[in-house]
Amino acid sequence: MQRAKASPAKRTLGALKGFFSKPANVILIVFLVALCFLTLYPLILLVGETFTVHAGREARATDQLVGAFTTYHFDKLLFTLNDGGPQGFTLSNSWIQFYEPLMNTLAVSVTASFIAILFGGTVAWLVTRTDMKYKKFVSAVFVFPYIMPSWTLALFWQTFFRNTLVGTGTANGILAAVFGVYMPEWFVYGYFPISMVLGLHYAPFAYILIGGILRNMDANLEEAATILKTPRSRILRRITLPIVRPAMLSTLLLVFASSMSAYAVPVFLGSPVRYYVLSTKMMSLMNTYPGQGYIIAAVMILFGVAILAFNQKVTGSRKSYTTVTGKSGQVSLIKLKKANRPIAVALLVLMLLVAVLPLLSFALESVTIKAGNYSLDNMTLEFWIGRDLDYLDQGDSNGILLSPKIWRALGYSLLLAVTCSLVAGTCGVLVGYGIARRRGSRLANAVNALSFFPYLMPSLAFGAIYLAMSTRIPLLHGFVLLALIGSVKYLPFASRSGVGAMLQLSGEIEEAAVIVGVPWWKRMARILFPIQKSSFLSGYLLPMVSCMRELSLFVLLVPTSNTILTTMLMQYSEKGWAQFGNAINLLIIAVVLLINLLVNKLTGASIDKGIGG
Amino acid sequence: MKKLVALLLAALLMLSGSAALANVADEVALGEAMTHEELLEKALAEEGSFVVYGNTSRIATALEEFTALYGIAGEANNLKDAEIYIKLETEMSGGAKGADMVMIQDGASLKSQALEMGYLVNFVPASVKDSVGEEDLNPLVQQYINKVFIWNNLGDNAPAITNVWQLTEPQMKGNVIFKNPESEQVNMNFLVMLTSPEWSDKLAQAYESLYGTPIDLSGYENAGYKWIAEFLSNCTFGNSDTTIAEDISQESAQGKIGLFVLSKLRSSSVYTDNLTVGQYKATEEGTAIEPFSGFMYPMYAMVTSNASRPYTAMLFIEYLMTSEGFAPWGKSIGAYSTNTQVVPNEGDLGIDVWKQTLVMEDPDYILDAYEDVYSFVLKYLQ
Repeated sequence: MQRAKASPAKRTLGALKGFFSKPANVILIVFLVALCFLTLYPLILLVGETFTVHAGREARATDQLVGAFTTYHFDKLLFTLNDGGPQGFTLSNSWIQFYEPLMNTLAVSVTASFIAILFGGTVAWLVTRTDMKYKKFVSAVFVFPYIMPSWTLALFWQTFFRNTLVGTGTANGILAAVFGVYMPEWFVYGYFPISMVLGLHYAPFAYILIGGILRNMDANLEEAATILKTPRSRILRRITLPIVRPAMLSTLLLVFASSMSAYAVPVFLGSPVRYYVLSTKMMSLMNTYPGQGYIIAAVMILFGVAILAFNQKVTGSRKSYTTVTGKSGQVSLIKLKKANRPIAVALLVLMLLVAVLPLLSFALESVTIKAGNYSLDNMTLEFWIGRDLDYLDQGDSNGILLSPKIWRALGYSLLLAVTCSLVAGTCGVLVGYGIARRRGSRLANAVNALSFFPYLMPSLAFGAIYLAMSTRIPLLHGFVLLALIGSVKYLPFASRSGVGAMLQLSGEIEEAAVIVGVPWWKRMARILFPIQKSSFLSGYLLPMVSCMRELSLFVLLVPTSNTILTTMLMQYSEKGWAQFGNAINLLIIAVVLLINLLVNKLTGASIDKGIGG
Repeated sequence: MKKLVALLLAALLMLSGSAALANVADEVALGEAMTHEELLEKALAEEGSFVVYGNTSRIATALEEFTALYGIAGEANNLKDAEIYIKLETEMSGGAKGADMVMIQDGASLKSQALEMGYLVNFVPASVKDSVGEEDLNPLVQQYINKVFIWNNLGDNAPAITNVWQLTEPQMKGNVIFKNPESEQVNMNFLVMLTSPEWSDKLAQAYESLYGTPIDLSGYENAGYKWIAEFLSNCTFGNSDTTIAEDISQESAQGKIGLFVLSKLRSSSVYTDNLTVGQYKATEEGTAIEPFSGFMYPMYAMVTSNASRPYTAMLFIEYLMTSEGFAPWGKSIGAYSTNTQVVPNEGDLGIDVWKQTLVMEDPDYILDAYEDVYSFVLKYLQ
């Protein structure tokens, strides 16, 4: 009797022991617990907020006590379709506040994703798989738009294309002033430019993720097809595209979720033509009727989850994406022949337009005293190296290079970005390993989904919830809080590249080491990591770059607005201190490029070449 | 069991919260009876960091000067008003230490989100009590800021309006520039105020004086609603008051008029000569813009109910009410101390003139009417 009882217990214990003897399982369990706390708990708080009466206008409207349960927010935001008067539902509260912005958001996000994948993917293919000229330059410059805070790219679009026939109609931008070209309104404001700016800003996602896969893919597959005289188009369709499909889906997910919660770009490019999206509605509601703002946040998350589920279904199925095996593969470049120069030149021009021109414009605006006047006597370097500038009344008494305030903020930003990158990057590699080794298991799927979850949370709402959490947990404030939220928020970048890279690795690579008894950490550090170094490093670099230029995530959590460079920059942008603002923006870009260069010199990897070459 | 523990914890939190609240309120009551020297002595005895939130960037300068004067260092945090209200709410409800004092705009939110919830405590320094008007004492207004009609004065089609109904005429379509009221609460508050009995009556009179016929409301609830609808339909929305000021001052912006912060005229990036301030012109000519030439909103200064350095907060508020404390704002036009002892800026009109010609906030009316007017306004932002 006794024996019979003991043995199932023993068996369970044994099974548990067996389960936890595999590092992959330990990693997955640890991350499952941590992520539940860091992402699901905030989510539950968020849902709670959508049913709660908040102080202020909500308490007045509902005539209920603060903190009471209510469905008012849902009724008002989603189901008030009958107060449009003679014009019917198109002027009803729900249509104006929710349904129309929702459709605009979907349109913008889908278009931006499409632009990013098409543009980033094509360039990635040209750089990794062909003998195109000027690769190095294209590759280095391509990530510039991502390094700039997205709203500065929007401001550039406006400064460049605006003219007296559109928007406020008050002044001509560079194109109209210098070349006499007046772009139509749809090109300057609204759906098109918002999608374009977001698409270009996030195209480096596609470039990095798709490029990383293309570069490491086993050329045997393509070569075999070539030997069998398969036409190029068919190779592309049947071999190349299916291999990069997970990366494309990851890109779609990232760009879609980012575009959806982008706030500053639609404000600058949408509001002059009364084009509203969910994020702009959310921001203004947060101030007056926060319950409705939280519903919008929840809806954004729902859409993200839907794409995530779709993604999961495609990559989670039993197809294999192993491309790096124990056998060697030599990438053979496709010869573009006569098309080489035209393609390369066209791409160069495009790069100059989207990546270099904005920088020049920032530089110019940072030395111009009165906007729109580009004569030399209207220029000064005071904003960079001046002293005693109080008389300018622009927020700082020193040029940015001489301002202690700026250097302090830069130091803090850097420390924060590096910390987030180390935490997120390392977690990403571990998560990637765990998921790849236990692929298809429920545990792996759960961790995979959870590790992506933070990305679907609109930054501002995520920040607000973490602020709420920080008041309940001691020690969770200041730098620790910023580093935690940054690491969690950008874990998806690292885990995406980690999972992608690990899935490409065939199990046999590790097995050989297992047989000779190499311990787990050594297998990671000596075998797996080096092989996919470029992909993993992009998993470190992306969080770093993103942190350096992140705003809305941190804005509620920074101890002061002068703590980090971006909050300072936004403050300057909003106050209209354009020269200092542009100078700070350039400083951010320069610092990121410098780090990129440094990493490149030290390790041979860099953001643009997660891809190499 | 779990529920019980949670309940106990919640009760404990509430107790500790209300205890702190009572403390600061008591200290403030004591502080109101103190002289400057007594306040200073108490403030110097306090320890720990002194933190300030303000939705004006110049609070940093004011705090630096304050530090230089009294040797009390502090941290100034410039945030938007909405961010400050969110921070106050989360910090207070979670029992976390945030700011010791705040400077903030948007009276309606102040009243309903911060005062009714007990997040902020009003403090009137004894030294300035008699030199501040009764209406600005509770809650204490440190200064007023105005947004006024300003137009481009170049060319022969300068929109030199004398009546706000001119802005609703068809030829003004697209020529009126205003910051989207959804993105700044004080702009929305201004619109809400126009629907009040007082302002809708004045608007109806102004209509009649311009066109000679009584106003035809054609379905609108009152003249305020009608003006809002037609004004917003003619507006183009700018992103910030600074860019609006810069844009309208351009040579290419003839025929444009805006409603924005007067102090933006000081900006080095604005062609000030190309701009005419409606009220300045009217005062010069002894006329008026009917029935208002813009609006004015208060900037409040208050102690937080969980302040760890309440006396420092009070000393700082007292300082902000003096000429020296107001200097960071007072050096240019468009900001008005409520302390009558502070000399108004040269070249600007006095606060009394502005109070008569501008639409002022009434937090109670705004809160009562907000939901209706907001829904109405939204339809004209489309």
